[in-house]
Amino acid sequence: MTSSRPYPSLASRLGSVWYRHFRTYTKDLVSNGFPPFMEPLIFLAGMGLGMAQYIPGLAGMSYLQFLATGLVMTSSMFTAAFECTYGTFVRLEFDKTYDGMLAAPLTVRDVMLGEALWAGTKGAFFSLAVLIIISAFGLVNFAAALLTPIVGFLTGFLFAAIGLLVTSFVTNMNHFNFFFTGLLSPMFMFCGTIFPISNLPPSLRVVAEFLPLTHPVRMGRVAAMASGWEASLLLDLAYTIGVAVLIMAFAVKRLERRIVK
Amino acid sequence: MRPIDHIHARPLIFTRPGGYVRGMPAYAIEVKKIYKTYADGTPAVKDVSFDVPEGSCFGFLGPNGAGKTTLMKMLYGMVKRDKRGDTRASVLGFDPATDELAIKHLCGVVPQDNNLDNEVDVGANLYIYSKFYGLPAREARSRIAELLDFMELKEKSKAKVNDLSGGMKRRLVIARALMNRPRLLILDEPTTGLDPQVRQLIWDKVRGLKREGVTVLLTTHYMEEAYQIADTIVIMDKGERVLEGNPRKLLAEGIESWVLEVLDEDAMSAFGEGPLSPGVRREGGDSRAQFFSEHPEALREIAARLPSGAAHIRPTNLEDLFLRSTGRQLNDEQ
Repeated sequence: MTSSRPYPSLASRLGSVWYRHFRTYTKDLVSNGFPPFMEPLIFLAGMGLGMAQYIPGLAGMSYLQFLATGLVMTSSMFTAAFECTYGTFVRLEFDKTYDGMLAAPLTVRDVMLGEALWAGTKGAFFSLAVLIIISAFGLVNFAAALLTPIVGFLTGFLFAAIGLLVTSFVTNMNHFNFFFTGLLSPMFMFCGTIFPISNLPPSLRVVAEFLPLTHPVRMGRVAAMASGWEASLLLDLAYTIGVAVLIMAFAVKRLERRIVK
Repeated sequence: MRPIDHIHARPLIFTRPGGYVRGMPAYAIEVKKIYKTYADGTPAVKDVSFDVPEGSCFGFLGPNGAGKTTLMKMLYGMVKRDKRGDTRASVLGFDPATDELAIKHLCGVVPQDNNLDNEVDVGANLYIYSKFYGLPAREARSRIAELLDFMELKEKSKAKVNDLSGGMKRRLVIARALMNRPRLLILDEPTTGLDPQVRQLIWDKVRGLKREGVTVLLTTHYMEEAYQIADTIVIMDKGERVLEGNPRKLLAEGIESWVLEVLDEDAMSAFGEGPLSPGVRREGGDSRAQFFSEHPEALREIAARLPSGAAHIRPTNLEDLFLRSTGRQLNDEQ
């Protein structure tokens, strides 16, 4: 089959887009690598030294452990969401990066899928960074928690897809405020990161189950603690992958129409 | 259509309805009755047909908004042409509507904007691009060295993109387009805004590529550029093809050989509507009057009736032909 195709394979095309982002991101590794390590450090130092001692443990762990293992996935969420909103928008409208890439043998689908795979990779990297910090605090056992970056990848991919869909509607960069303040910040609060969703009133608990961050956080906490495995995690996995694929397909359709006039 | 409008010497080769023979076409590009209407209803390209023989250079001239870029983008799938039964388009034997990837693999495109990766250096820009074509690392490295040499950027391999001059950035974008040894090179305003030295260098390189058998498609609004490198020019206006032919021939047949220009408004109002000898055509108002003729003596007669120094006589050029074909009024996009 490959002999009749006069252009690179899908895997090669996606890999090349991923590589483009890898090269431009790692060019400034020190400044780009600073936030994923520093942010959890500040958060945990503040909470650990201050607040956590007033809060009793829950679900078989200390509150600091609960919080730390929640931050693993919010970190993946934020980096992927930023990459595929502001980052994508700048490449699309200001830098005209896609005009250059689409002159090579790549389709809009290749470019966007490669972008989401890259955002997933960043998600994995960011969750790994948090994992390193919280295991240095002695909150988790690093060696037992190595499934975490895989969940980080899925989380990154999911929020990349959502980010791309949002971007497909946005014509003015300020509109991303609605997405970040209107959706991501509430999710950070109410999706089981800083307190269990079982503490929510029943009606809001149902809402939380529909929100996309709830499921990665649940999986991420189990992966990081390396305990608490249960069959219902498969539902969280199915939600994460299913919704990511669905939204990605929709986002690509819309971006195709926006880029190829 | 004028009599000098180039005639499509050879018919399109169809083997099945709506399709073309794959493989080696006699023409690098065959386009018949292509149209583009944007979503907002703007007709950008209307009923354009042309055939580009392999190894030749076609230059599309026209004011901004004439549809040149839209036409180029339709050829590599960045703009979707209108769906019509009578439209045919083939680029290197492939239809842009269905074989976008094959076409882009065989073509090099220099877009109007220099969309380079500012984060990384010159060499990395090219290396990243080589991956889009699936070039193995070793082959990519030797190709990059070759291209930097060819575009005279060898010393700049480690330079940051932001430190390059406009001309260097443009040369880098051209080098990038040549990565996969394209059979067809699409240049969308390759030298707009560059200084004369860089323009000459780029024209030299394009002529060199043409000698190697690369087909070149060019859009420009520099008459000189079209004259320098195009074998055939197509003048477009408001989405339509106005004229097509060899630039020297078009000039010989499309407009008088000589023009007398008067840029002195007072001299012209004194001259008034004055009678003209036969074979002299007047254009423009008092602020920029032009008299065209095949006979310089007839123009010298007019010059003699004007104050000395108010007029000068020169041979006509492509710009005169261009303005005659596309009109002097500015359009919405200019």
